Amino acid sequence: MSANDDATAANGFRKVAEVDEIPTGRGIGVDVGGIEIAVFNADGEFYAIANRCAHQQAPLCKAGETKINADHTWTKTRGGVNVEEKSVSCPWHLWSWDLETATHAASGKRIGHFDCRVEDGDVLVRI
Amino acid sequence: MTSAIERLDATAEVPEEAYEVEIIDMDFHVNPMESELQRYVENEVVLDRLSTEFGMTPIPDKWDAAYAIKEGNEGLFTQGRAEYPDDVRKACEPLAIDEPVVNAGINGLPQQHHPVLKNAVLQAGNDYMLDQFADDGFATALSLPKWDVDYALDELDRWGDESNVVGAYSWYDPREPWGATMFDPIFEKLVDLDLPLLLHGSLAFWPQHSYVGDNMLTWTEILGFDWPYHSMVNTVNMIMTGVFDDFPELKVVFQEGGHWWLPFARYRMDEFYEMHPEDVKITPRKLAAGEPYLERSPSEYLRDNVFVCTQPMALPRNASEAREMLRLSMAADTFCYSSDWPHQTLDPPTWFFTNRAFIDDQETRDAILHGNAREILRL
Repeated sequence: MSANDDATAANGFRKVAEVDEIPTGRGIGVDVGGIEIAVFNADGEFYAIANRCAHQQAPLCKAGETKINADHTWTKTRGGVNVEEKSVSCPWHLWSWDLETATHAASGKRIGHFDCRVEDGDVLVRI
Repeated sequence: MTSAIERLDATAEVPEEAYEVEIIDMDFHVNPMESELQRYVENEVVLDRLSTEFGMTPIPDKWDAAYAIKEGNEGLFTQGRAEYPDDVRKACEPLAIDEPVVNAGINGLPQQHHPVLKNAVLQAGNDYMLDQFADDGFATALSLPKWDVDYALDELDRWGDESNVVGAYSWYDPREPWGATMFDPIFEKLVDLDLPLLLHGSLAFWPQHSYVGDNMLTWTEILGFDWPYHSMVNTVNMIMTGVFDDFPELKVVFQEGGHWWLPFARYRMDEFYEMHPEDVKITPRKLAAGEPYLERSPSEYLRDNVFVCTQPMALPRNASEAREMLRLSMAADTFCYSSDWPHQTLDPPTWFFTNRAFIDDQETRDAILHGNAREILRL
């Protein structure tokens, strides 16, 4: 990411990626001033939450990564984004996080949740 | 002034400090495909049977708690499926694991009833691991058939002194704890070979097959508490029947059996033994030796001869509570880090770098991450 991409946008939103850099059902991890954020594409709707799972600090941005020898397993990915439910399951232990509220229903735990919007093909996040 | 925005490292998944410490993983599962394993079955009659639609004798698997897990039975492969050395290397890199102790992890074998088929599959698994992993320099644990002591001894004769074989892998269960004297020849040979006995939970003893009965219904009950009680009774049985008096050099590692039960066992064993030690003299080994008592307090064997794997660590978040639990568990002498890759209970070594109980006590951290493993494995 170039220095120009790091420009502060109006209302505190900042560009973290271009839309086509985050395929649907996947996410990216970015460090914004020391804060780790995972940005997900749930069928064209973008969400930004803290990157670290509250359970054991797994990097949520890796949800949906293809497994080793995926063809010899039943499900092909480590966790993943559920585009219908707007949730992401952790790549380590499948804790399911609601992307709209950043909550884990079973434990009631919450992690950081950030405003996220798309503008002119750019994905913007506000901390 | 705006702060920088950077893409996160696409490789590392654990804190960067983890890469600065040696990490030995005591329980890393390799899962070869069935077709690949069949290439290593030596007996043609057995191979013919295993190659047909009959295969191994089907036994209903009571793994019904898995229905509610997003990946169902695939919880066994939550992270993927390591079949070859490069798969293991690829899996270990993001978790900062330096030395995985790989095993074939055929944990359903004790569940089968056919002794010839069981032994043939075990042999194939061992030859696969020797060929693919030990020969490639991986620390490898090969399997011993608990159900057939003579064959276990034959297997130890066959590969016991092979390079990179660092331990013998078998299973614990509640029906026939390892304190029985029939296992003494195995203990004797393991000590001669300087190999520890790694004991893993067995799928043969999920609730419907165990003495607990049929009413254990959830993941928490079954996975969380069935195997720990098996581990605990095996530990107490081995100690109280004098296994470690006869084989003081024997090291036993319990895998996936929990670890926080150690304070309970430590104090309860000593309390009960000191109150009523007289029946020890009529246990088989002590009767044969003409000895009335154990040579040491039960808790001393627990500290010196028994090790437990930490997966899942389930550490209290409060550091002072964690510190006290570690101390009471004699963790610096008894705990060994394990990941259990690739299962859903995977335990990356994050705890050791995020909890002050370890940040403030790197000696205990290092003992768990590699020190105890180096002491007992034939690395």
